[in-house]
Amino acid sequence: MTFKVEDINNTKIVHLEGEIDMDVTDKARQTILPLIEAGNEVHVNLSKVSYMDSSGISVLIESKKLSEEKKTKFELKEVSKPVEKVLAMARKFL
Amino acid sequence: MSETALINHSEKKAFLVKSSSLKDVRIFCREVFEKLKIEQNLKDELVLAIAEAAQNIVKHAYKDEPDTKDIMVVEISCKNNKLEIAFYDMGTPVNPEKVKHRELDNVKPGGLGTFFIQEIMDVVEFQDKKKKPWINHLVLTKQL
Repeated sequence: MTFKVEDINNTKIVHLEGEIDMDVTDKARQTILPLIEAGNEVHVNLSKVSYMDSSGISVLIESKKLSEEKKTKFELKEVSKPVEKVLAMARKFL
Repeated sequence: MSETALINHSEKKAFLVKSSSLKDVRIFCREVFEKLKIEQNLKDELVLAIAEAAQNIVKHAYKDEPDTKDIMVVEISCKNNKLEIAFYDMGTPVNPEKVKHRELDNVKPGGLGTFFIQEIMDVVEFQDKKKKPWINHLVLTKQL
């Protein structure tokens, strides 16, 4: 997995790319959570994520929860088809 | 359900029990499902279920042994359009009673992988009869 962070009008846009599994979730977590912790509005662009498993979904849930605690916004943008499918399955659970 | 019969085929591969092996597990599965000519949508679901089961071995059966040199084996067999995926490991014995996903009203993410496995596969069961030297033997099945 690779990533880059853009700053557009005070919103942090995190672009994730590649496959997100347990082996790389710490990297994703360490990229996203500090941005939210600092009070930023964070958008995560998932258009180039070709695979995501439950550990990746966990990072998104943690991020959403932290943003609620910090009273800021956390949004998913341009979700790829493989990720949309996993999110759809996860929604039945959440 | 497939309109045409899939070929009968069986393949297995060993992987080191560590999180960096999960990508190799997915590559192996995709290659086997390619040979079986399983359609893309189902292939994606099956790869997810298998990767989640392998992740559970790394995360739970070897919870206290992050530097283990042990291997786990994944065996994919297709016979008469029934797909069987077996996992073997030598980690902490799993209590099948404790392997279940969280309640639907509990929004914590833990247990999501087990939920995915159960959603995708028809049957998920740990075999009581041990095959030495293996400690845990999980079998996932799906009628194709």
